[in-house]
Amino acid sequence: MKTSKSLPPIARITKYTLIDEVQQRSFIVMFLICALCVFLLRGCFQGSYMVNGQALDAGTIVRTLSKATFHVIGAGVMVIAALLSMRIFRRERNEGMQSCILSKPIARWQYVIGKILGLWVLSALFMFILHSIIFLITSISLKVFMPEYLAASLICSINLLFVVIAVLLLSLLMPDIVAFLCVLGVGIVGFVADGIAAASHSQIAQAILQQPTGQSQSDLTWWKVVYVVWPKLLGVQQLASSLIESGSSNGFGPIYPLINVLAYCLILGALLFKRFRNEDIV
Amino acid sequence: MIELKNVIKRYESLAAVDDVSFSVKTGEYFALLGPNGAGKTTIVKMLLDFTRPTSGSLSLNGTPSSQAECRRSIGYLAENNHIPPSLSGWQYLLRCAELLDMNRSEATDQCRRIVELIGMQGRESTKVGTYSKGMVQRFGLGAALMGNPKLLILDEPTSGLDPIGIREIRQLLESLKGEGMTIFLNSHLLSEVEKICDTAAIINRGKLLVKDSISAIVKDGETLEDVFVRLVKG
Repeated sequence: MKTSKSLPPIARITKYTLIDEVQQRSFIVMFLICALCVFLLRGCFQGSYMVNGQALDAGTIVRTLSKATFHVIGAGVMVIAALLSMRIFRRERNEGMQSCILSKPIARWQYVIGKILGLWVLSALFMFILHSIIFLITSISLKVFMPEYLAASLICSINLLFVVIAVLLLSLLMPDIVAFLCVLGVGIVGFVADGIAAASHSQIAQAILQQPTGQSQSDLTWWKVVYVVWPKLLGVQQLASSLIESGSSNGFGPIYPLINVLAYCLILGALLFKRFRNEDIV
Repeated sequence: MIELKNVIKRYESLAAVDDVSFSVKTGEYFALLGPNGAGKTTIVKMLLDFTRPTSGSLSLNGTPSSQAECRRSIGYLAENNHIPPSLSGWQYLLRCAELLDMNRSEATDQCRRIVELIGMQGRESTKVGTYSKGMVQRFGLGAALMGNPKLLILDEPTSGLDPIGIREIRQLLESLKGEGMTIFLNSHLLSEVEKICDTAAIINRGKLLVKDSISAIVKDGETLEDVFVRLVKG
């Protein structure tokens, strides 16, 4: 009974968040530039590529390039989601909308959920549209259908949820730009660490590492713990892109990054509710 | 209607509200008076659960003010009211109506009534960014009146308005008297308070100095301003 009464205010705040953001000129310009850049990538798909003197077939080119653009779009939209999220509380406060909403029979948790959902849906849609452009290019121009590309985009949106919640929380604790940079830093460190870890699992790296440091590899060092518990944003992207690589019928990568990021969303979400509950509304 | 019991609000070592207790009855036109920094806005914020008391309790119709549902019967106009400049006055009112769980047709009817009440016909479709301060204040008051609230909390409703605007707001508030609405008014304009309100409380440095009917506070040959100055200056 209580839940059914609580949903409409959340849906309304989500709707207002979406409308307010989409009406911003900066958002429209950002979206058009991103869409144009992605559209211009279509030329890359039509080139011929040689590896070790052998020409790659069209299918391999499309899958490899699609995977690369998938990661670039995923990472780029995370930055955009952080930009959108960092100023939302301040703007609502300055424009009087926060006190207007919270002077109505709306609980603070409903307001926060509405904001999170609005920003998440908006940034996920943003990413989905950019991914759809790639999907359409490969489907129409190159006749390679990859419906799993769109499914991968949806999985990747979990990263956006993390970014939105983390930036909203930090924007209550520090200046907006610092909150943005902190989350950007978390993402960059995670990407670099995952990149190094992936490189170290390559055959060449394994061959180098095996000789002198066989014993120390098995030791549980503090940096390994930090690495394991650090937000696995690249891991989620790789998990999602494993769908593109192998097609929907084949494997799905290790699921740990997804659990890791979802756990972070829950923990940071709980901290955000707690912090906002004690926040003075101006 | 409103009850404050031993309310204390501290910001670190500073007591913004210091052991304040009073009540406001249903249908009463009540004014909370005090110099700048006396704690008036802090009391309003606590009534709306915008900030939590350090100790003590605030209730509205017997329900703790921390419960969101008790705000269903409250209309609120903030001091220095702001409206997002990207919205039109109509869109703003419509949002306020929707946030009170009204469906689209109910909300549209209410908005039409409110626009008429605040005298803004013909200007409701233009963006708030083009409005004067007085017009923003009128739409703010209109939003507060949305859904026929039982309690209207007005924090400096005439702030920034010219004498004509002040008079119009006063006339509007007087016209609501017959509807059984309770009004909680924070104001510096003592002459206006004297004309509109039945009861008043004066606070200074967070402490309640007096709470009574205006006729009991103001003795013969005095004005409310004289009493205010005498009490505040000690």
